[in-house]
Amino acid sequence: MTTGESKNGVEDIIICRDVHKWYGEFHALRGVTTTIKKGQVVVVFGPSGSGKSTFIRTINRLEEHQRGQIIVDGIEMTNDVRNIDAIRRDVGMVFQSFNLFPHLSVMRNITLAPTKVRKLPSAEAEKIAMELLERVGIPDQAYKYPKELSGGQQQRVAIARALAMQPNIMLFDEPTSALDPEMIKEVLDVMKELAESGMTMIVVSHEMGFAREVANRMMMFDEGVIVEEGTPDQIFNDPQNDRTKLFLSQIL
Amino acid sequence: MSTNANTGPAPVLPPPRFSRGAVGWARDNLFSSWYNGMLTAVSGALIVAGLWWGLKWVLVDADWTVISTLGGFLAIGEYNTEKACEGQNCFWRPQVSLMLVMVLAGMAWGIARGGTARNIAILAAAALAAFAFLPYSFERMGMDVRLLMAANIPAVGVGWALGRHTRLGTVRGVAFSGVGVFVIILVLLRGLPGIPGLEPVSVIYWGGMMLNLLLAVAGIVLSLPIGIALALGRRSHLPVVKALCVAFIEVFRGVPLITLLFMSSVLVPLAFPEDFPLNRLFRAGIIITLFSAAYMAENVRGGLQALHPGQAEAGRALGLPSWQTMTFISLPQAIRNVIPAIVGQFISLFKDTTLVTIIGMLDILEFGRSFIQSYVLEGEVVYLENQKELLIFIALSFWVFTYGMSYVSRKVERHLGVGER
Repeated sequence: MTTGESKNGVEDIIICRDVHKWYGEFHALRGVTTTIKKGQVVVVFGPSGSGKSTFIRTINRLEEHQRGQIIVDGIEMTNDVRNIDAIRRDVGMVFQSFNLFPHLSVMRNITLAPTKVRKLPSAEAEKIAMELLERVGIPDQAYKYPKELSGGQQQRVAIARALAMQPNIMLFDEPTSALDPEMIKEVLDVMKELAESGMTMIVVSHEMGFAREVANRMMMFDEGVIVEEGTPDQIFNDPQNDRTKLFLSQIL
Repeated sequence: MSTNANTGPAPVLPPPRFSRGAVGWARDNLFSSWYNGMLTAVSGALIVAGLWWGLKWVLVDADWTVISTLGGFLAIGEYNTEKACEGQNCFWRPQVSLMLVMVLAGMAWGIARGGTARNIAILAAAALAAFAFLPYSFERMGMDVRLLMAANIPAVGVGWALGRHTRLGTVRGVAFSGVGVFVIILVLLRGLPGIPGLEPVSVIYWGGMMLNLLLAVAGIVLSLPIGIALALGRRSHLPVVKALCVAFIEVFRGVPLITLLFMSSVLVPLAFPEDFPLNRLFRAGIIITLFSAAYMAENVRGGLQALHPGQAEAGRALGLPSWQTMTFISLPQAIRNVIPAIVGQFISLFKDTTLVTIIGMLDILEFGRSFIQSYVLEGEVVYLENQKELLIFIALSFWVFTYGMSYVSRKVERHLGVGER
């Protein structure tokens, strides 16, 4: 399912050129330019308010960029609703606060979008959901409600829910920040397995152990721009930018 | 090293139990201090005195004959009088309507998992069937009327069988049946010209509790969807839609219902073709529905605003178009969160139906009051002294229905609480 084979056969799966975003007067993204290739795992980090969350939220249009160009899997992000919906079907997202639907069972959380958007028959959608729940290690929770699950289990359901749409790209917005320490590992393990399967992933996170082990690339955000990027080896052992050095010294 | 260090797993102990008997309970809850003890004594005395005088009045002093004299008029007003229903007997039409409602209640019981629908269906059918045994003479209340009353019990059974064993036995099936039954009831009560036994009865003569219930049911069923539409319109990004909805809501919330009802004879016809057969029941129904929908819209909007924005974001991130995100994710949660407010609005709408009095319709309250002032026997207005009894009876009638609504609402809330945040 997640062979990393881009639907449209594009090698550069995400292209951002000079992306700007304002909240009112506040200039949140100040010209982000980068290209992410198919199958890459990119960890985005940086101080609070640096624009890293805003950046990944522009990739599936949860935030609208006001200048520049974003091309996802060969489709340019414009105001055309059909383009936006097409991109969203292709891009899965996992949130810091899980955002499971509390009024629906775990199973229904996962099958809702495939049955409504992809028009899958519910038996087939449930079969896929069960496979995904097995993949994230909680098939026995399928008919419970989100509030009956631990935080780590909820986040794994959220990952399964996103995967059910068979996306080519997965965005993670601080997926472990709201978790108790003993649950972080179970979520990171699922993400690691996903990365090994070839999924293109952008992960906003300060889990530096995960970054070192799994990421191909790291991006340091500060004041709305990428101030430094490189392999984990370069970033951890030989950071060039003073702000990167300062930030790493504060969190490591 | 701490001396508290425990080598084995901590033992699991049962919680401590306090069983101190009735005296202990009373000391803890009623007489925990001297002023609490005094409060208990004073309120206890008030309750006893209230019960004493209340029961004495109900059982000894009150003259309940005004209720039995009014009898069926309280239920259906002048519907079955000679002027409404010339040369024929029309009592069976409201009664068959009632039976259809009981069939619906039975269907709800047939598909429900919980016992609430069963309790309500059985209780209502039993109460209605009990009317068959009222100690009226057969001249006053004929065998046919009594048999139709008793038939409410088999009606529930038929409904149960339909709900359990036929293809109507789904929530959707019951909902469609409900709409169908409502239309049948309206046709049945209004009559069809040219069909023997179904001669038209002008809505001027529809009255009593039947009128209150018809207006309330129509208002409740229609005001929720209209209110949802208005709430969504008010949150719309389209300025014209938004402005229209805001204007509608503010106007209908800002004007007293009585004023709107007075204006209904002027305003409602403006919205319809000139020769449209508008009667005052229809006009009142529209006004009450729209009035209630304006409040409903604000309730629903409040529920939507209380939702975590991440819910809609998660839906959109999954590729659901915004209308599906609204239908499957936001609205169900928003409505569940404001069920108490919505049911409060339903109850308030039901009580407000008594205001149709002011456009000349005789609902249960007005019919009772005018009856008291005009019932003359041997040159004397007999029941002038009995307003108390009548008003208490009418109040109780309303309370039975409103309490039923809040009972169902509590059950629904508990049922939907399964997947709470």
